[in-house]
Amino acid sequence: MVKQELIARSPLRILEQSLSGGLGKGNIGVLAARKGVGKTACLVHIATDKLFQDKPVIHVSYRTRVDHIITWYEDIFKELARQKDLELPEDFHDEVVRQRVIMNFKQDGVPTEQVLRSVEALITAGHFNADTVIFDGYEFGRPESAADLKKFREFAARLGLEVWFSASLKGDEPLFNERGVPRELESFLPEMDVLITLKSAADHVRLNLIKNHDHPVAKGLHLHLDPKTLLIAEE
Amino acid sequence: MKVDISRMRNIGISAHIDSGKTTLTERILFYCGKIHKIHEVKGKDGVGATMDSMELERERGITIASAATNVTWGDEVINIIDTPGHVDFTIEVERSLRVLDGAVLVLCSVGGVQSQTITVDRQLKRYGVPRLAFINKLDRVGANPVKVTEQLAEKLGHNAVLMQIPIGLEDKLEGVADLVSRRALYFDGADGEDIRSEDIPDELKAEVEARRAEILDSASHFSDELMEAVLENRETEAQIHEAVRRGTIAQKLTPVFIGSAYKNKGVQPLLDAVVRYLPDPSEKENFALDADHDNERVRLVAEPSGQTVALAFKLEDGPYGQLTYIRIYQGSVRKGVELHNARSGHRIRVGRLVRMHADHMADIDEASAGDIVALFGVDCQSGDTFISSGRKLTLTSIHIPEPVISLAIAPIDRKSADNMAKALHRFTKEDPTFKTHVDPESSQTIIQGMGELHLDVYLERMKREYRVEVQTGAPQVAYRESISRKAEFDYTHKKQTGGAGQYGRVIGLIEPFADGIYEFANEVKGGRIPREFILSCDKGFRAALRKGRLIGFPITGIKITLQDGNSHDVDSSDNAFQAAAQGAFWQAYERAKAQVLEPIMKVSVEGPAEFAGNVFASLNQRRGMIVSSVEDGTFARVDAEVPLSEMFGYSTTLRSLTQGKAEFTMEFLKYARVPAVIAERLMTEYQDRRKKEASK
Repeated sequence: MVKQELIARSPLRILEQSLSGGLGKGNIGVLAARKGVGKTACLVHIATDKLFQDKPVIHVSYRTRVDHIITWYEDIFKELARQKDLELPEDFHDEVVRQRVIMNFKQDGVPTEQVLRSVEALITAGHFNADTVIFDGYEFGRPESAADLKKFREFAARLGLEVWFSASLKGDEPLFNERGVPRELESFLPEMDVLITLKSAADHVRLNLIKNHDHPVAKGLHLHLDPKTLLIAEE
Repeated sequence: MKVDISRMRNIGISAHIDSGKTTLTERILFYCGKIHKIHEVKGKDGVGATMDSMELERERGITIASAATNVTWGDEVINIIDTPGHVDFTIEVERSLRVLDGAVLVLCSVGGVQSQTITVDRQLKRYGVPRLAFINKLDRVGANPVKVTEQLAEKLGHNAVLMQIPIGLEDKLEGVADLVSRRALYFDGADGEDIRSEDIPDELKAEVEARRAEILDSASHFSDELMEAVLENRETEAQIHEAVRRGTIAQKLTPVFIGSAYKNKGVQPLLDAVVRYLPDPSEKENFALDADHDNERVRLVAEPSGQTVALAFKLEDGPYGQLTYIRIYQGSVRKGVELHNARSGHRIRVGRLVRMHADHMADIDEASAGDIVALFGVDCQSGDTFISSGRKLTLTSIHIPEPVISLAIAPIDRKSADNMAKALHRFTKEDPTFKTHVDPESSQTIIQGMGELHLDVYLERMKREYRVEVQTGAPQVAYRESISRKAEFDYTHKKQTGGAGQYGRVIGLIEPFADGIYEFANEVKGGRIPREFILSCDKGFRAALRKGRLIGFPITGIKITLQDGNSHDVDSSDNAFQAAAQGAFWQAYERAKAQVLEPIMKVSVEGPAEFAGNVFASLNQRRGMIVSSVEDGTFARVDAEVPLSEMFGYSTTLRSLTQGKAEFTMEFLKYARVPAVIAERLMTEYQDRRKKEASK
């Protein structure tokens, strides 16, 4: 009962509607922004929403330590419960946690093939029936990034996964081209099904939908990231 | 001999297994002993004999076994406290950590930060112990101290800074370049005891300068004086040392030293660093609890005057008789004085007071705050606090986890039986997580502990130290029973079978209690149950909790509130109310949705990344929940939560799955509900067993 309510009342339903039903299996979605704007918070919120729906998530992080990622999830979880003022059943938290595995790789030391091999081993050998995989902190500006992205795509399609990335933008201003696409990600755009950028405004961070599969982009997402709670919220 | 407290260091050496902790400890004792020896030999009897290796070995044998070894390095006195290596001995580890003021975290230059490094580092952090790192085994193929230093930062969150760089590596390791002094150090002589200091080789000069700048950058955060000096290019070595020391003691900086203990390289500079950067006992805050004043925290002052407060942190049944190692936190301990045991209230007289050196034991008359010494022939338990008369101060009681595994043991002959009792008595005194009892139903002796290995070690010790041979049963998981919801009871115990009757009625509720094993609350008003029988009820409930009705294991996590009841002037008695409480409990137990709990272990598997798939599969088959995995290119670590009952024989499985290249550690995490199918099976087995026993 509680779960249903958490799912139904989540602002992520708005995101799903805007994306005509969500990211979808076999597809790649990217959240792009400068460092520290809130990409990880958004990804953890998206992941937690999946976990509430009993959809297992693998969170791959390239930089942040495992215990820090766990803390992110705990904070988002607590904040969601607090905000909706829900009395959560005792086992609920444990049930949610069971559906989540965090994997940490050093991008310098581990080539993408090996990352994917390990994630696949967890899914097949470890019988972890993942629905969504998050690659948090992958660096797009590398010579091998274009080839890597093709590998990620093939992987998502073959295993039927929704795959989300965060992309940390580092370039000089202007960061975005006239269509709002981050200039450093322009060349990768064909390999992305969904692209959302985060821009900080006066007292919040706004989510902009830049690419929505092959559909023309509708006007606004009407979503922002609340800097206090670090949750995605309706505008 | 009294020691100036600023010249005293109490340190531990912590490491993952196979990082070379033992070799390093041996070398430290050797070099300290050597200095001591040379000094003494030349000063006194003039016989310049060096020890042969056999004698040395024998000496080492003794030293490694003692819980705290006192050595001298230059004018400084260092107590090296042995920190047990395996996480199975959590309580022992934690108790020895308490008495440390600083630690050397040893890492393998190939393996880097491994699962147990993380565990011991976390423990050191919890007890606020400042630490240095020593990257050992630079002579091994694949040695990479820079990578390991990065791991200290990434995996353990240390602000780690290299204080030395290697001159040569692997089989070409020649020595170390000290960055602060800009000197190249080589270790000559048969045992590396002669240090030759030379200019930095040309090819390393650039790297030395670059890395030295990193030290200045990190250290100047802790000293304005250094920061200004660096800006004006006039920093002195003393300024750098002082700043690094401040950062280290504040646990905001971890200086990293390197070497190969096995090849006798880099050990003496590490000892210099221990003295230079780790705190003396007065620089660490310690608190005691005042038992007479609601356990109010009292700050201890590390001075020889004042009320004596000392912790018995380790008991040892050594070749010299029973030794009690104590750390004195405040005041002094003198031969002949009387002290009190704050727990038991017993008085003890300090007979012999000794200090354990690397090669001998020395009788002393007095020791004061900060020091670690041993008492002879004192009856106490490990963890007790000794005080002189005054306030009833105890050093913070350490939380003792319940044992999770048990094993039935039977001596094979009469002689073994006698000695077994002695051995068990000793072990339970030394280690509160090791328990023993005789099962009333089977009359078997049961030992309990924190893991398979924990019990194995004691069986081995029984054999070796007490010559006890025992037969063992299969290890048993310590299941528990509990309830998952609130239930009310209203129960009347009534018996009228000639003579005095029995009558007692109890009304109340039982509910889950997350914070402990059992809590009893009395809300009976108006004397409806006389006061003395309230105690009987409590007793009755406790008796019921001892053995659950699902699978016959103890019941835990229950709060019982007694709200009302009835008594009879003549027929009510202690027995009647105990029986009423038990009856009431079982009445409510079924309705409270009783369930079976099992111990869940935190398991950490580490090995080459190529075997990650096999590891995932093996954990999944054991009902494991994979929490995380970390890969750095060659090595992978997988952390999981796995029921203890599924972990028997895992080491063999893991070995065959990974060609012996992976290893695992585990420690108790929590109790959790057993899945319904398995609970069903356990209950059926229990019922069958009871039927069988009944038909006998």
